[in-house]
Amino acid sequence: MNTIMRYTAAFAVLLLTAVSAQAKNIDLSTVPSRATVQLTIYNSEDLTLVRETRVVSFKKGVNPLQFSWANTLIDPTSVELRFITNADKLEVADTTFPHDKPQMLYWNVQSAIDGDATVEITYFTSGISWRADYVGVASADETRMKLENFVRVINNSGEDYEDAQVRLVVGTINLVEKIAALAQVPMSEVGRMDADQFKATRRSAARQMMQRVPAAPAPAMAGAVSEMVEEKQVIKEGLSEYFIYTIDGTETIPNGWSKRMRSFEALDVPFKVQYRYRPMEYGDRLVRMYILTNDEKSKLGTTPMPDGIVRIFRDNGRDGLSFLAAQQTKYIPIGDKIEVNLGEDPEVIFELIKLRVSRGNIWMQINGMNVFKQIGGPAEIEVNSNVAGWDEHAVFTQRIRNYTAKQIEVEVRRSYDGHVTYRSTIPGIKLFDFRTVEFTTTVDAGKRVDLLHEVVTSQGRNAKQNNVTLQKADVNP
Amino acid sequence: MSRRIRLACWTMTLALALAGTATPAWARIKLITLPVRERVEIQLDNPNTTLVEEERIVPLVKGVNQVDFSWAGTAIDPETIVFRVIAPEQGKNLDAKVLSVSYPPNEQSLVWQVASSDSGGTRVRISYVLGNLSKSFNYRAVAARDEKSLSLWQYIRVQNLANEEFGSTGLWAGFGRRFLKPIGVNETKQLLMEKVEQVPVTKTYTCNPAEFDYLDRAQNKLRVPMHYVVKNAKANRLGTAAMPAGKVRIFQDDGKGTTAFLGEDWGRFTPIDDEMRLYLGVAQDIVVKRTTESNNRTRIAGNLYNQEIVLKYEIENFKDQPVTLDVAESVAYIRRELIGDTGREVQWELGPKTTLGDADKEKTTQDKVLFHVNLPARAKDGKAEKATYLLHVILHNEW
Repeated sequence: MNTIMRYTAAFAVLLLTAVSAQAKNIDLSTVPSRATVQLTIYNSEDLTLVRETRVVSFKKGVNPLQFSWANTLIDPTSVELRFITNADKLEVADTTFPHDKPQMLYWNVQSAIDGDATVEITYFTSGISWRADYVGVASADETRMKLENFVRVINNSGEDYEDAQVRLVVGTINLVEKIAALAQVPMSEVGRMDADQFKATRRSAARQMMQRVPAAPAPAMAGAVSEMVEEKQVIKEGLSEYFIYTIDGTETIPNGWSKRMRSFEALDVPFKVQYRYRPMEYGDRLVRMYILTNDEKSKLGTTPMPDGIVRIFRDNGRDGLSFLAAQQTKYIPIGDKIEVNLGEDPEVIFELIKLRVSRGNIWMQINGMNVFKQIGGPAEIEVNSNVAGWDEHAVFTQRIRNYTAKQIEVEVRRSYDGHVTYRSTIPGIKLFDFRTVEFTTTVDAGKRVDLLHEVVTSQGRNAKQNNVTLQKADVNP
Repeated sequence: MSRRIRLACWTMTLALALAGTATPAWARIKLITLPVRERVEIQLDNPNTTLVEEERIVPLVKGVNQVDFSWAGTAIDPETIVFRVIAPEQGKNLDAKVLSVSYPPNEQSLVWQVASSDSGGTRVRISYVLGNLSKSFNYRAVAARDEKSLSLWQYIRVQNLANEEFGSTGLWAGFGRRFLKPIGVNETKQLLMEKVEQVPVTKTYTCNPAEFDYLDRAQNKLRVPMHYVVKNAKANRLGTAAMPAGKVRIFQDDGKGTTAFLGEDWGRFTPIDDEMRLYLGVAQDIVVKRTTESNNRTRIAGNLYNQEIVLKYEIENFKDQPVTLDVAESVAYIRRELIGDTGREVQWELGPKTTLGDADKEKTTQDKVLFHVNLPARAKDGKAEKATYLLHVILHNEW
């Protein structure tokens, strides 16, 4: 295994009788190789917990061990040594961070035995990350979708990880300091930082969390006799506020490489097509949406969906795909909706036409006096007066033309400022919030609808509110 | 053979693969096969994105295969690459699937690990979004001598700056049209998408000072632009799809077997049942003088008043044919011209003195009122009749 020599995170047992290893210029050491390595990668932070085991031969007495990590992004404060076997006979007597070698430490291990022991070294490193992405292929009739979720592990840590068990943490953890920054400073500097208790909390929290996760099943070695090499499974387990994805078996990801694996595949996921006008979210245009639900009914719902890019294709019905959209999605909890904006549809025309405007309920204020009189009222109005309040009536038609071959559903949200009365007979109309009117309508294939409505805005002294009131009323074109 | 985009395939020894050692075999000496493209389809139906789909027959052996895909010097979006196993070669019963994808550092390439249940060739389809392969549309319109109809050619122009050569390639232009053409590096191909004959066209003469201004302000003469109006409707032998934006070169049959170039204009994106208006220039033979006949204010109370405005149009048609003139006005523009802008919407109605006829109900909105006025041809002696029309608008509740 020539790769051992490429390791920059090296672990050496110093074959010395004295503890004063640092003082000598001539060293002899053996390099126990990694027996196992496990990576737990958090995608919310640039943080990976590495847990590796090595088998080390100890002799009775003090055994110096050297651990170095030149040119990697390991957090020096996070390195810990634990004994898996013979734990009761071995003890770390002290840990030394030499001042002249920032990316190195020494442990002096007090041993009561002559013999082998498995040690576990854990540390945090930055530079390894993972991200999710999704590829959806909609059926030609746009009712079902094949949805695949991939996870991609990216290793820029400076270290090659061979045959590593990979675990991915879905969710956000609280990190006080960015580990990458920590890794760039020597231990002595780190020691002076006053956020130690935060770091300790962070480390122990992350470790505790990891210990509660049951070990992943052993890699299926039965593959040697089976007909076909099976795709690796990604095992998903919920844990506290997090989800842990464990990739079946082990993976080798050299430094600089990234690797993408399928996390799940769902066939025939039902979805809905909806057109939406929500200027706050999608800009001033009608967009077409694919709406999926992350639940069992939709053949999903086994796991929350980590944030990532969703790419949507459609079977174009002529033995090929059409590219529809690529969109970043947020973390989707189980039961929540996945909404993909496909942009405008040239076959659906959405127009708001202002038909006419008029004013009424006009009130005049007599100059210099707190006296108001209504136009058309019984009282005569002095010449010496000014308009102080009025209602402006604007009649619109919301015209939607559907040139697609299917009935479409259109949801419209419009916001209004000021004291507004919204008059219409649009079925199902409601207030989305105090200033936003929402309705959903359908338009048959090849048809056009005109949704008439009147927006009455009370102006000047007539304005007494700052909200929208719905009123059922026939509006003539 | 493609220049830049390359697919290579090699196989790890079975034993190594199955021993659970997933190490890619980066041996220095390796034998690789280079499957060629069997079929390429370029999907141009997305307005912003070009999707390339190519099929190759990959020789797989039983076990784990490495399939290397590289695209040096091209603008493939690596995140969009989709690898699908379509079918094994005839007579084979082979199951293949992708185990993982590895991305080497600082290279425009990736490696698929593909497991195969047996040895044999398998047709795979690779789809990706490719940059710098763009399309545009343009039109050629030849109007009949009588300007009542025109022939319309619609072209798609595909420009390949993607640094990759595509042999015989299916180009999907959208609207279900497919062309099978090779397209070389830096090549531009123009393809006829559709030719439609006998498309009814309306030649319009329009005056609308808010939009087209005056031709001669001092003489109160309005500019009268001419347009060909083509409605993208089924009745006009169009209307199957929205017409994409593009330059339109306009010609007219000169009656001598050739065509005369009338000009060109940008045709806007035209949905079905909408009109594409093509500007032809300013009509010199139709003179429209617009003056303000009256402008009266009536107080309602205090500073609140109604304003009555009568505009007069004196129109002469010096052409030998009768024409229809579209008289359009923006009432907000009239108010701005005569009173000034109040910042409020105009509350207006047409007054009884209007002699322009009825407004076009379909096209009249709050912002625009439109009339169609029929003008007779000039008399035999060459004299044009001067017709006078009035537009009476009442502005309510102004202050």
